[in-house]
Parts: sequence; C-alpha cells; structure tokens
Amino acid sequence: MALSFTILALLAVLGGIGVVAFRNPIHCALSMIVNMVALAGFYALLEAHFLATVQIIVYAGAIIVLVVFVIMLLNVKEESSQGRGMLLTTSASIFGIVFLVFLGRLINESFGGIPLPTNLVEGSVENIGKILYTKYVFTFEVAGALLLTAIVGATMLAKRERLVKKGVA
Amino acid sequence: MGSVSSYLILSALLFTIGALGVVIRRNAIVVFMCIELMLNAVNLTFVTLSKHQGNLDGEIAVFFVMVVAAAEAAVGLAIIIAVFRSIQSLDTPGASSMSR
Repeated sequence: MALSFTILALLAVLGGIGVVAFRNPIHCALSMIVNMVALAGFYALLEAHFLATVQIIVYAGAIIVLVVFVIMLLNVKEESSQGRGMLLTTSASIFGIVFLVFLGRLINESFGGIPLPTNLVEGSVENIGKILYTKYVFTFEVAGALLLTAIVGATMLAKRERLVKKGVA
Repeated sequence: MGSVSSYLILSALLFTIGALGVVIRRNAIVVFMCIELMLNAVNLTFVTLSKHQGNLDGEIAVFFVMVVAAAEAAVGLAIIIAVFRSIQSLDTPGASSMSR
C-alpha cells in the first residue's frame, strides 16, 4: 500500500507541476490527464470505487477531451511572452510556499499520525446509489437542472453569431 | 494504508500548485485547467475525510463537485471560444480590453 501511495503521489504532483510549467497547452492537457488518472488511483486506494470510475470517465474522458478539442479548434500556439514576469512569479511562489507550510502545520496538528480506518463503509455503486436517491435526491434533481442550463448556455454562446445576424440577440 | 495526514498534505500540495498556476499563467485555457486541478485537490480531501469519518456524505459531495465541474467546463470553454473570436487571443490580460 505504501509503495502504491508513493508512486501515485509522485505521478499526481508531477502531473500538476506539468500543467503549470509546460509552455504548449497540449502538453499541459496531457499532464492533466496523468494527474487525473493518479487521483482515480487514490480513490481506488480509499475504496471509493464508484468515484474512481467516474473520475476517469468524466475528467479524463470528457472534460480533458473537450479542452483538447478547443485547443485544436483555436490552433493555440505556445505563449508569446514568458508568463507574467519575474516579480509576480517569484512573489507568488513565495506566497505558495508559506501557504503550504501553514496548511501542513495545521494538518499535522489536527490529523498527525491518525491511520486511515479499514473495513468501514465502501463507496461501491450500490451504497452510493442508495444514499444518492434517498438523502440527496433533491440535490440530484437540482444537478440535473444545472446540467440542462449549462447545455443551453453553451449552445447560446457558441451560436451567438448566427443569432446576432438574425436579430434575435 | 497510509495516514490521513499524508493524503491531506498531498491534497494541499496539489491545491497550491493549481493556485500558483492561476496566478502565474496567462493562457485562459491553462488557467481553466489549473482551476480543475484545484477542484480535484479538494475532491481528494473530501474522499479522504469521508473514509476517515466512516460515512459516504463526502463522496456524494465529490460527485456533485464533478457535476458542477462538467457544467463549468462546457460554459467556460464556450466563453473562451467567444472571447477568442472577438479579440483573436487567449491572454487573460488582453480580455480586460473588452470592458472598454
């Protein structure tokens, strides 16, 4: 278990750094996939099997494909200038390290040395489905309405030119 | 199986990387991906603490975060395409010229 945790953690962090560091947006999207798959591995380690599957399908399979599609469609080249300049990059990194040290101390004080419990509840499809359709059924319906709104909104934004020509919007 | 704090510290590290990316990078699509990175880091925290607490409420929260992320991806990328059509660039500082 410890070995798989180390490997997955390495993959996740390297993928995350790749998203920020690569110049070409396509390379950023590919390292994002590495990061997503590593996180799916963590969900499997934590016995959230349903979420591990959904993570692969929704993130690696849908969202990143959409992002890559947009990158290809717009024919995005590498960034023209080197980011935002030295001063901002340096100060942001310093702030990030301070933030990370602060969070690490906080986590160590609250959860230091507590092992993960074993053989408790398992996030299988059956258990998730039961709680999703009883306790959270209203939220589930609202999520459906949100997705419908997103579809209509995205279509409106993408088709704007034709609507402007017709004088509708 | 690893301790709770190791998962939480990894999650904090991923969140910090994502936040730095939002500040440092200029390309709107990369900024968008860094926001997804931050959402994923929080999701890992949710799953870990759900395991720690011994109930599934945290995993349900992750499910809904994924729904919102999918909706955000659809609308956000449509906005990026619309902005690119009007200013022919994806730089985030350039988009502020649209307010004038």
